[in-house]
Amino acid sequence: MSKVRQELKTIEVLPNLTGVIIFGVAFAIRFILFQFSNITEILGNRVEIVTPVTSFTRLTEGLYLFDNGVPPYDGGAFHQAPLFLACFQLLSYLPNILIPLTYIIADLLIAYLLANITRIKQHLYKDFPRIDVELYEGKPKEIDPWIVSGLYLFNPLTVASCLSRSTLLFTNLSVVLGTYYSLRNNKSYGMFWIAMATYLSFYPLMLVIPSILMLTNNTNLKGKKIENEVYSCAGLYIGWLTGLFILSYLLVDSWDFMQSTYGVILLLPDLTPNIGLFWYFFIEMFDQFRSFFLVVFQLHAFIFVVPISIKFRNHPLFVVFLLSGIMAVFKSYPSIGDASLYLAFLPIYSEIVKYMRYNYLTTNIFCYCSILSPIFYHLWIYAGSGNANFFYAITLVYTVGNIILLVDSTFSMLRREFDIWNPELRHCEITQK
Amino acid sequence: MRNYLRSLFLFTLVFLTINGILAESRQPDKFKEALTIKPLSDGKLLTHFQFSVKHYGYKEGVVFSHYNFFPRAIGQIFQTYNVRELHLTFTQGRWNYEDWGYPFVPSAGTGVELWAWLWKDGKLDENWKSLTNALAGLFCASLNFIDDTITVQPKLSFRPEGPFNITELTERAELRYGSLPHENVCTENLTPWIKLLPCKSTSGIASLLNGHKLYDSNFHSMSIHVQPSCEEPDCINQQLEIIQTVSTVIDPVRNSGKRDWSLNNVFGRRLSQACPLAEESNLEIIIPEDGDYKIIPDADDIIQRSMDDTDDVEKKIAVYNLKKIEPDTELSMIWNEDQFEYNFNPVQPRIFAHRFFTGYGQERGGIKVNIFNKSPNISIPIIYYDVIPWYLKLYLHTLKVQINGKNTKLDAVNPIKDLYFQPAVDRSRPNVIEAEMLLPPNSLTTLSIKFDKVFLKYTEHPPDANRGFDIGSGIISTGKIDNDFLSNSTNMSLVTKKSLVEYMYFPIRIYTETLLVSLPTPDFSMPYNVITLTCTVIALFFGSMFNLITRSFVAFIDAGEEKAKKKIDSDKSNVQKGEKKDFDGENFDSDKSNVQKEENRDFDREKTKLEAEKTIDNN
Repeated sequence: MSKVRQELKTIEVLPNLTGVIIFGVAFAIRFILFQFSNITEILGNRVEIVTPVTSFTRLTEGLYLFDNGVPPYDGGAFHQAPLFLACFQLLSYLPNILIPLTYIIADLLIAYLLANITRIKQHLYKDFPRIDVELYEGKPKEIDPWIVSGLYLFNPLTVASCLSRSTLLFTNLSVVLGTYYSLRNNKSYGMFWIAMATYLSFYPLMLVIPSILMLTNNTNLKGKKIENEVYSCAGLYIGWLTGLFILSYLLVDSWDFMQSTYGVILLLPDLTPNIGLFWYFFIEMFDQFRSFFLVVFQLHAFIFVVPISIKFRNHPLFVVFLLSGIMAVFKSYPSIGDASLYLAFLPIYSEIVKYMRYNYLTTNIFCYCSILSPIFYHLWIYAGSGNANFFYAITLVYTVGNIILLVDSTFSMLRREFDIWNPELRHCEITQK
Repeated sequence: MRNYLRSLFLFTLVFLTINGILAESRQPDKFKEALTIKPLSDGKLLTHFQFSVKHYGYKEGVVFSHYNFFPRAIGQIFQTYNVRELHLTFTQGRWNYEDWGYPFVPSAGTGVELWAWLWKDGKLDENWKSLTNALAGLFCASLNFIDDTITVQPKLSFRPEGPFNITELTERAELRYGSLPHENVCTENLTPWIKLLPCKSTSGIASLLNGHKLYDSNFHSMSIHVQPSCEEPDCINQQLEIIQTVSTVIDPVRNSGKRDWSLNNVFGRRLSQACPLAEESNLEIIIPEDGDYKIIPDADDIIQRSMDDTDDVEKKIAVYNLKKIEPDTELSMIWNEDQFEYNFNPVQPRIFAHRFFTGYGQERGGIKVNIFNKSPNISIPIIYYDVIPWYLKLYLHTLKVQINGKNTKLDAVNPIKDLYFQPAVDRSRPNVIEAEMLLPPNSLTTLSIKFDKVFLKYTEHPPDANRGFDIGSGIISTGKIDNDFLSNSTNMSLVTKKSLVEYMYFPIRIYTETLLVSLPTPDFSMPYNVITLTCTVIALFFGSMFNLITRSFVAFIDAGEEKAKKKIDSDKSNVQKGEKKDFDGENFDSDKSNVQKEENRDFDREKTKLEAEKTIDNN
């Protein structure tokens, strides 16, 4: 079966007219919009788009302090990984245009990798049984990988997140790279990029398990023991992560950054509103219960990793989708950039869409939130005619919308599989045990 | 002979030492009091009380327990917490620099300001904390709220007011500074303050301190300074000095439309006898240079003296010696005018400043400071010092300097010569900006910086959350320009090379306005609702996901259909065996065998049931 592996290494999505048009237009839109500095300014200040741990303003501040010899992690403003300092310091020596270009290229790279991931996924599922309706003249209907890129690139959430210069983009890029290399059975790169994503924003830690699942999928074919493979993956991951930490230590010459980045993500000292559940909950929380609920909320985000990975052990890519969805909703500082990542994974599994029951509802909820959240925030903060509950209500609706989408797609995946293995039960009433 | 000489020598030495100790302890504390009254250019009247007690024979680090006039309450606090210098000021209202010039002593910004030099003894921070608490108890003020989030260590702005040796000081002592801009000052603070005076308020000028009149004023400031002092230039014998001052600015024009005043209508009391314990007890009136007025009765003496550090102009002062004055004397000043005409062009001080917020909304904003240098041809060095609480997150990269409205980017014209910035840490320390600047002649220098407002926990808001939070004054330190500096200031490069702080002393402090910032508030009635709603949403996800993961799908099948289905099943398994394939190396046959096993088990059960439930592990 080494042929499969060989194929995996070489499989590549071929450029076609659709692809070229999609990437060209996506680049043009971003490039033109980046020229309007007030658009990037406005988007870069929106609480829905940037959070204290991804804000470009705060990165600039950290960089300014770093350049002027003030320890950047000594203050309470900068909460991003030290490598950003090094990279953006380098960028600051180069022409100004490079910063927007970096963001645009990172976004396009994500889209390109998504197309490749789609192609690999289609290759892997080539021989997987299907239900009849998915076949068209005996061949399965597949989504064009470039459409997957297009859906990512033209998602308004992605565009807004890219234009806001949120550093979350680089976490997303690392996640997608990690997934891509894991699917290609490139253990070292796969683990490196997952370690990088973890290093940049901590939560992608949970993606280690699906990545290992992807990497160990065909070990028994190579005659290696699965345990050894898992250990070597975990070892690589820990090695890369330690390497990144040591590099950061050498860069800023203190371990303060651990407290200032991961400490902030875990302990939530900054209660700036975002579209997640944490901020208002912990603004309103009674002091004596704060630590308890903090532990519960953070555990809740991580608690799904193992059960989902077990349930969908044959579909590690779907696990990546679900876990990034869970991250996007239940992380401590979520933004729409997180949602754009997991929404990008959804069309890869386009076959489950017809099983989804609440598409209309979730679409409406996303539209409703996109319109009302800036309005309600304005009413609270600027007009003073509304209070914090207005914005809080919208974050609740947004979260519920995401939850419905995640649960619905999980349901569809399971239901479709049930139908595949039980075609004879198609006319029966199906419920849960 | 040698023995004799030695014993004589020893005896002399012992005698001299004992004599010295006795002489030292014999020298009593000295108490001086003075009341200075100055008509200000806008018709208001400044009254400034100053009481000072000197304790002789003070040695740093040597505890003394014999108190004469020196207040025991202060002395004990001072010694217990290893304080070197202590400055505490209670202020209400704002000193109006443009109309009133500089005050006699540095007036503090609105609220309470406390700063102290403490000896490094291993528990300095503990001592500072105890000191604030002890003073809070002594003066009935909320000084105990000066905690870590407020305390700062200014690097440049504050120097000891008493004699000091800079190297010794930086090695052995540290400065702590805290201010509470929201603190209201009233009679409950004045009463303990008066109790520290040797004569209390029974006699002397302290008898004029009438709370009702004192707090009915445009500005009042009450302070205590405890510091070592020297009488000789070489400073061998130190004294411990306590200076207590009260300054008030009263508006006589408000009542009568005229500037006329008398002690009785200013303080509601007449002057009784001098405090018998006072060595000196004077009342001084600074005589305006122009205007038609008379002071009744005539002064005992008229002297000339320069009053503040920036002003070299000597002023005429009418001095009344209270030791000689008749009891119940009414002192008054009468202007020959029908109505006071406001002076629209007052003589402005050299440096003054205004500070204000920019921006709108409760999310972010900016601070702007306008610093004026009115001197026509000299550049003036200043130190700008500002403490911004942690709930405003300053972005240093947004700091901009403008001179007369023009941006300065070139280093040559940048008035900031050195900048010290301490970024805030949430809930533990404030932002501190200290900038050494050189203000060009006749200029307006504008500093601006942007900030984000922090969203506080609902328990961190005060009960009157929508009133907002007070931000303490920014402080500009400046001083008399000495000739050395003037001669060098033409050579700007020298100034930029050398730190201004080493270069000169900055005794004048100019306080900007305090500011009020409103932070975004949550809905204070919501804790239970938020906990309930958020937890419901989380439970919604957890429940649905858990449900999907743990429960598998089941089909309801009629018994009649069952036979037909079994046939299909067997067909299906045959087909599947034929086309069994690996999916990326994962064997799907394990799934199939599970299905088969389940079906067999179910089939046994179905024999006894009419309608059966069939379960298939679809995994």
